[in-house]
Amino acid sequence: MLNIKTIDDATISQRVYQLNLGPQHPSTHGVMHLLLTLDGEVVVKIEPIIGYSHRGHEKMAENRIYEQFLPNPARMDYLSGMIFNHGYCMAVEKLCGIEVPRRAEYIRVITSELNRIASHFIGTMDYAMGLGAITPFLWGWDDRENILDLLEMISGSRLTYSYGRFGGVRNDITKEFYDGTRKFIDRLRSRFWDYENLINQNVIFIKRSRDVGVITTEDALAFGVTGPTLRGSGVKYDVRKNEPYSAYPEFKFEIPTRKEGDCLARYQVRMAELEQSINIIEQALDHLPPGPVRAKVPRFVTPPEGDCYVTFESARGAAGFYIVSDGTRVPYRIKVRAPSFSNLFVLTKICPGHFLADIVAIFGSIDVTVPEIDR
Amino acid sequence: MNTNPYGFNQYIKDILVGGKSLVVGLWITFKRLCTRIVTVQYPRQKLTMTANFRGHIEAIRFDDTKSHHCVACGLCARTCPSHVIKVQGEKARAGDKKVGTRYYIDFSKCSLCGLCVDVCPEQTITFSKEYELVYYSRWDTVIDIMGRLEGSR
Amino acid sequence: MNITQLPYIKDVYGFLGSDVMSGLVGLLIIAALVPLNVAFLVLVERKVAGHIQLRPGPMEVGPHGILQTLIDAVKLLGKEMVTPSSTDKLLYWLSPIIVVAPAFVGFIPLPFSPLVQIKDVNVGFLLIFSFSSIGVISILMGGWASNNKYSLIGAVRSVAQNVAYEIPLLLATMPIILMTNTFKLGEIAQAQAQSGLWFIFYQPIAAIIFFIATTAETNRAPFDLVEGESELVSGFHTEYTGMRFSLFFLAEYTNMVIAAALFTTFFLGGWHGPVLPGAVWFFAKTYFLLFVVMWIRWTYPRIRFDQLMNFAWKILIPIALVNLFITAIVLKVL
Repeated sequence: MLNIKTIDDATISQRVYQLNLGPQHPSTHGVMHLLLTLDGEVVVKIEPIIGYSHRGHEKMAENRIYEQFLPNPARMDYLSGMIFNHGYCMAVEKLCGIEVPRRAEYIRVITSELNRIASHFIGTMDYAMGLGAITPFLWGWDDRENILDLLEMISGSRLTYSYGRFGGVRNDITKEFYDGTRKFIDRLRSRFWDYENLINQNVIFIKRSRDVGVITTEDALAFGVTGPTLRGSGVKYDVRKNEPYSAYPEFKFEIPTRKEGDCLARYQVRMAELEQSINIIEQALDHLPPGPVRAKVPRFVTPPEGDCYVTFESARGAAGFYIVSDGTRVPYRIKVRAPSFSNLFVLTKICPGHFLADIVAIFGSIDVTVPEIDR
Repeated sequence: MNTNPYGFNQYIKDILVGGKSLVVGLWITFKRLCTRIVTVQYPRQKLTMTANFRGHIEAIRFDDTKSHHCVACGLCARTCPSHVIKVQGEKARAGDKKVGTRYYIDFSKCSLCGLCVDVCPEQTITFSKEYELVYYSRWDTVIDIMGRLEGSR
Repeated sequence: MNITQLPYIKDVYGFLGSDVMSGLVGLLIIAALVPLNVAFLVLVERKVAGHIQLRPGPMEVGPHGILQTLIDAVKLLGKEMVTPSSTDKLLYWLSPIIVVAPAFVGFIPLPFSPLVQIKDVNVGFLLIFSFSSIGVISILMGGWASNNKYSLIGAVRSVAQNVAYEIPLLLATMPIILMTNTFKLGEIAQAQAQSGLWFIFYQPIAAIIFFIATTAETNRAPFDLVEGESELVSGFHTEYTGMRFSLFFLAEYTNMVIAAALFTTFFLGGWHGPVLPGAVWFFAKTYFLLFVVMWIRWTYPRIRFDQLMNFAWKILIPIALVNLFITAIVLKVL
């Protein structure tokens, strides 16, 4: 067996071989290319190669007015489309000084949390599928289907929402949505026992996730990891609590953390966050204030010169929009901080020394969305 | 470094706890095996869309003109992020409002974002509930929705 | 004197009881049984998988998808058998053939009913066991000849897994053979019918170990990292297309049927049952076991390779050995 720490180039070329966990693979979530250097079945070096899904969103922003860019954030991270959309609206509102009515803030919080639950279903169940349990994946999609039906009732679309507008949201929520969300919450609570006992307590699952892919706190902070990946390593950082925005200061919820930093800890953090999201939605539905859902803004906004940075918590970590405006209707530069980009490269530090079967598990537990990395 | 030796009792306990979790897992799967399926057999059974569903754009027929209210202002064409809308209008007499005569949308590029519907000052276009957009050739995707409105009289 | 002793009838129809005849009838049974079994099982697997996952499985072809496997076979026949240019041609061509041939041999000693048994070979169980070990080398050939790193990893894993799990398999059947003093499968089924109590009540631990070991031998989940669809795209049969791929499939399902039939014979009483004829009970028990194997596949994740070897050497073999000792002592004392 090679000693990972003292490997040099001559040894690499003689004994190890390279394997492409290529762009087309059944278990990389998106078009992700991992170049592995293996000795037998043990990984010696891993190099992620990105850029296969680059579509030029930030370049598109330089040629479109602010309203025309509204569909784009949802396409960057399609699993948190609502959250990114609201984040972009928040950034432009901060730049122009627009005040959002309270009812709109509450609706934004409710839809963002529903989107977060939907995204966590994919994140956790995709991890289980990477390990080989295909059934919970399909059950997770069944639960996610209910959320998508609810969001379709108010926004009209199931994945690429474009629901937020500058100054609020597009239209008000209906009674159907209100009742449907209540029913959905009850149904979800009754499903937790199933998921817990089929996956979380299963001895095979525990043996494959315990002590696999341990990210220490120092490594996580050094690489700039955020989101459930960071909270699984013991750091209690969540943008909703540390730098609150929108209506989040008015709700009572906790940030689940775990100390171990392995795959099981990250999985447990995501499942615990589902519970917290349900709490937030219930509180928001109980105290929904009446009023308008959209402030009066000009049809085509013209922000003053300057720049601003707004950060918010997407399902994968701390995302942000940095907008530089030069006084016209077209932005000068929009830069997006995608959390998956920082989360991905921690793989280069933690993967060496693991088996090939673990690489898939670790990659699934970090929960990246590849188009978000490439934008 | 694990200071506790992995004793015989721990070995037996691990086997028993592991076995129990496996049996519970089988019971959960069996329960789901006996429930109804949740999928819809699409071509044979179709779902109805909600009221707010964003199908492709269509023009609304109003009662006073027996047709649309479009004044060919061009706001929708300017707002569209994908630049798929082309509107043409004509004035019947000088001093009158313009009336839209042709309105072309290229549905192969429309991303159904809804900005055109939002920005229209006359509220004359809306979303339909059609989602089955299939065409035999690329040129069929460019549709004149005014013509469709007239044709469906 | 009765009719069979008339000289004319004895000469002409005497050969009906001879070995040649039983060999021919056996060949017909195998030729009919194997494809039908596979067709039925593939469909059952897909339907069971579908209903566990809250969806209906194949529904289009035939009422509720009954004819799906037939159409799949026709489709696979029509596909081009692509041979990549840098493979080892002889091994590549030979591997699917060798993986399927031993599977047919396994049907010979199986006692379908007191009367229907192709030949009660006097080393019955050992025949099946040794021929199924030939399948291992064909997997290695297939993986090596494909000139593909994924296939090679899959093939190497499968050799280690198969060799490791043969030991608990043998150790789990030894108590049964000690109790009945014979290798012949027909006599084992007979012994259970006579004593009235199936052997699973005498040897529950051996039954569980046998079940786990055969699941591992036939490369079924949770031991299917040989063809782990998440890591290696399709394992050793990544590069095979068309009819060659379907031969691998055929071999896997036939091995599953033989394993389930062995479990039935050893532990569940073979053809023993109250009212219905023996063959019906045999097949009912076999298919019930196959349903359990599929049920397990769709419930558990996959075991990692080193944990698999740990499980075989550190857990299954000690328990099987202890079971064997206790059985031998009890049989000697009583």
